[in-house]
Amino acid sequence: MCLAVPMKIVKKDGFSASAEADGVFMEVNLRLLDDARIGDYVLVHAGFAIEKVDEHEAEETLKMMEEIAGLNEKNEVR
Amino acid sequence: MDRTHGIIRHIRSLTPDDRKLKIMNVCGSHEHTIAFSGMRSLMPENLEIIPGPGCPVCVCPESDIIHAIDLSNRDDVILVTYGDMLRVPSVKGSIRAQGKNYKMVSSPFEAISIAHSNPDKKIVFFSIGFETTTAPTAAILETGVPDNFFVLSSHRLTPAIMEVLVKDADIGIDGFIAPGHVSAIVGADAWNVFSEKYGIPTVVAGFQADNLMLGIAEILGQLKSGKITTGNVYAGVVRPEGNLQAQKIMDKFFEVSDVNWRAIGHIPGSGLELRDEYSGRDAKKAFDLEEVKESKIPGCICGTIILGKAYPSACRLFRKACTPKTPKGPCMVSMEGACNIWFKSNLSRQDDITGAVS
Ligand code: SF4
Repeated sequence: MCLAVPMKIVKKDGFSASAEADGVFMEVNLRLLDDARIGDYVLVHAGFAIEKVDEHEAEETLKMMEEIAGLNEKNEVR
Repeated sequence: MDRTHGIIRHIRSLTPDDRKLKIMNVCGSHEHTIAFSGMRSLMPENLEIIPGPGCPVCVCPESDIIHAIDLSNRDDVILVTYGDMLRVPSVKGSIRAQGKNYKMVSSPFEAISIAHSNPDKKIVFFSIGFETTTAPTAAILETGVPDNFFVLSSHRLTPAIMEVLVKDADIGIDGFIAPGHVSAIVGADAWNVFSEKYGIPTVVAGFQADNLMLGIAEILGQLKSGKITTGNVYAGVVRPEGNLQAQKIMDKFFEVSDVNWRAIGHIPGSGLELRDEYSGRDAKKAFDLEEVKESKIPGCICGTIILGKAYPSACRLFRKACTPKTPKGPCMVSMEGACNIWFKSNLSRQDDITGAVS
């Protein structure tokens, strides 16, 4: 029930927006995230955008993952 | 070595040899990833990942389900709710089996459309769930709803139940994986109470197996170093303060209340009901609904499972009398319920967690 999917905003008119993911378009309401702009990736739950996806932060997490995964290799070598 | 194996090795290196650690997830979707990825079998022996109260359908009080059934049997009402709720068993049966006028929706907007197209009926939106689901309901109220629209609120607060869990010495939780999408609304800082007051590392994680394991590694790292804080490995979505706009709208319409959790009991300050100003939209008030005492489902140990004291396989009915097609208890109904997830992912284990089930 708390699942949400990331989608890209392609159209915006007030609180109504159209968002796209994998070629699927959906009407998304921006009442909970009215500063979302066209081109933003947002998380959609029950027809509402609930949060923006920050690509920079997502990449940082990925880097952290690689580091942790690699860190052990270094330990092994030592 | 690929990334997943690297993280697993890291987890192994951080897990102590001399004591058992218990990390709890409080989100059905997390449990789903954990179960279906087979992650548990790769964890070191001293590390248990236990499912907690992450299933809103499971904790929705029987009283509300009975009210929903009764309302749907009135000629002037159409009861509208999320799909899983229709099948949850109660002493009166389920909404689907015993109700008459009901409709399933996947967004509260559909409930509004139903209200518009049925002006001669009263539409009761049976709105359940944690913060992620409360926000959309608050948003439709903010948008404006027709006069024939009512809310039967069964919303619950995640931090409140987690505080009950940390105070229960029987469970002995060493770390929490905080729910990703609840955190998107309430913010990572909402979990500071656990790290600061109770010294329990709490890390927000996303829904990919690698990301969840990164969260687990972060918890273990904190336990090892003794530096306990709130962590966030889902920072691409979750901000420290959360979605302030959503919080403001939720606060406008809902106030904190003392409520029951199914198979668990009364927890002060753990639910949400509509504020007095909006009592005209509150189905409990509009239809004079009185709380019904909860009955016990013979043999079902859902409450024990939700509190992290037993795995689903400890229930004698699991996979036997109780299956997703014939759910005896609420935890077998929804795909966020631990029993349902364990059934579908073929998980089982003989031991139970704390010996609470004999
Ligand atoms: S297996 Fe069924 S009866 Fe047993 S605890 Fe789970 S839901 Fe309840």
